Amino acid sequence: MPCVKVTAGVVIDFDGRARTLLDALEQQKLTVNFQCREGYCGACRCKLLSGAVSYINEPLAFVRKGEFLPCCSTPDTDIEIEIP
Amino acid sequence: MAYTTFNRQINDQMKEPMFFGNPVNVSRYDQQKYGIFEKLIEKQLSFFWRPEEVDVSKDRIDYQNLPEHEKHIFISNLKYQTLLDSVQGRSPNVAFLPIVSLPELETWIETWAFSETIHSRSYTHIVRNISAEPHKVFDDIMLNERILERADDVTRYYDALIDGINLYQRCGEGTHTINGQSHSISLYELKRRLYLCVMSVNVLEAIRFYVSFACSFAFAERELMEGNAKIIRLIARDEALHLTGTQHMLNIMAAGDDDPDMAKIAKECEEEAYAIFRKAAEQEKDWAEYLFKDGSMIGLNKDILCQYVEYITNSRMQAIGMKAIFSTTQNPIPWINTWLVSDNVQVAPQEAEISSYLVGQIDNEVDGGDFGDFDL
Ligand code: FES
Ligand SMILES: [Fe+2]
Ligand SMILES: [Fe+2]
Repeated sequence: MPCVKVTAGVVIDFDGRARTLLDALEQQKLTVNFQCREGYCGACRCKLLSGAVSYINEPLAFVRKGEFLPCCSTPDTDIEIEIP
Repeated sequence: MAYTTFNRQINDQMKEPMFFGNPVNVSRYDQQKYGIFEKLIEKQLSFFWRPEEVDVSKDRIDYQNLPEHEKHIFISNLKYQTLLDSVQGRSPNVAFLPIVSLPELETWIETWAFSETIHSRSYTHIVRNISAEPHKVFDDIMLNERILERADDVTRYYDALIDGINLYQRCGEGTHTINGQSHSISLYELKRRLYLCVMSVNVLEAIRFYVSFACSFAFAERELMEGNAKIIRLIARDEALHLTGTQHMLNIMAAGDDDPDMAKIAKECEEEAYAIFRKAAEQEKDWAEYLFKDGSMIGLNKDILCQYVEYITNSRMQAIGMKAIFSTTQNPIPWINTWLVSDNVQVAPQEAEISSYLVGQIDNEVDGGDFGDFDL
């Protein structure tokens, strides 16, 4: 069960109750910007400081190095992220 | 080099740059230099919708009951959006098709511009419904100074690029005397105009629509003008995709593998790019002031809207690797996300049914009884 560390100090267990990382963050009442929730708008971009994620479907939005889209991804390993 | 609609030169399309290589000959998608554009095309096609599918008939009564200052907000935004989509429905085609060199990008540009024509047609659908004199609304666009001011900045970069392409494709690089006037053009200068044009389109689609989107959804939060809000949601969904398209183009240009000149130009134009964003944000704030000149609307006022402009400008800039220019870091109207979300994932609060989103379904079940409580 990968664990998600958010720079604000919150640690979340990604335990299968959330479909995506965005859902998991929202369940913890963290505010993440979003629009499409399916990987084509890029509004949910966050920084991936360590670890790896995989995409449920390959996103269309441009993802820069060191960033990821929580709306359409799940963690592969423990990850550390920063919400802008 | 003159444009030709079917370039006879046998070329390897996989080695062409996005722009200013050989004109495209065979429209083929079996091989793609940038598969992302094909994916954008497929997504855009899957979004296809027709304005007539959205029932706006209840909006007529809502509109008649709006106080004058809210009517002004609603109709001014519609006029501004009409201007923006008039430009977007034609300009990507006119400006980019003569210089594009990849079939998947060429088809993306056409698909993109086509979807803008749907937006334009949807404004007529909305205006016809709320006004007995739709011509007055549209006629005013060409007379309204606040809108014309904006038209200037929205079209300037397109027009400069188109003008340069005309000269270059007719006469080639160099200084040419045409009708007694001297004009110079170089390929490098054209590429610079292209970069700035794509940047300004990015700003148009990333920022300029959103003040108006916010107002539409603020009405809908009060269960007013909900037909309009449904249409705006469909437009916003398309716009998010268009934005992704231009962000990809800008990022490919800046990376330089596609055309090393473009990477150089991206660096040289950095300051100008910041200026384009800054000016658009300022203009949108002025627009918010104009909208609310006679009074605010419930849930939105000038200050909130200006903060939203700053917030969205920052996030759009960061998306293409620029630095934020405003100190606002929080979205002052987080409820807007619920309205902007894709319909198949989550339904906005007041939306009991969204059948009209489905292609081919017509949702026109309003009869006289539904209006029983209203006095016209
Ligand atoms: S919300 Fe659109 S890409 Fe994540
Ligand atoms: Fe549009
Ligand atoms: Fe658009």
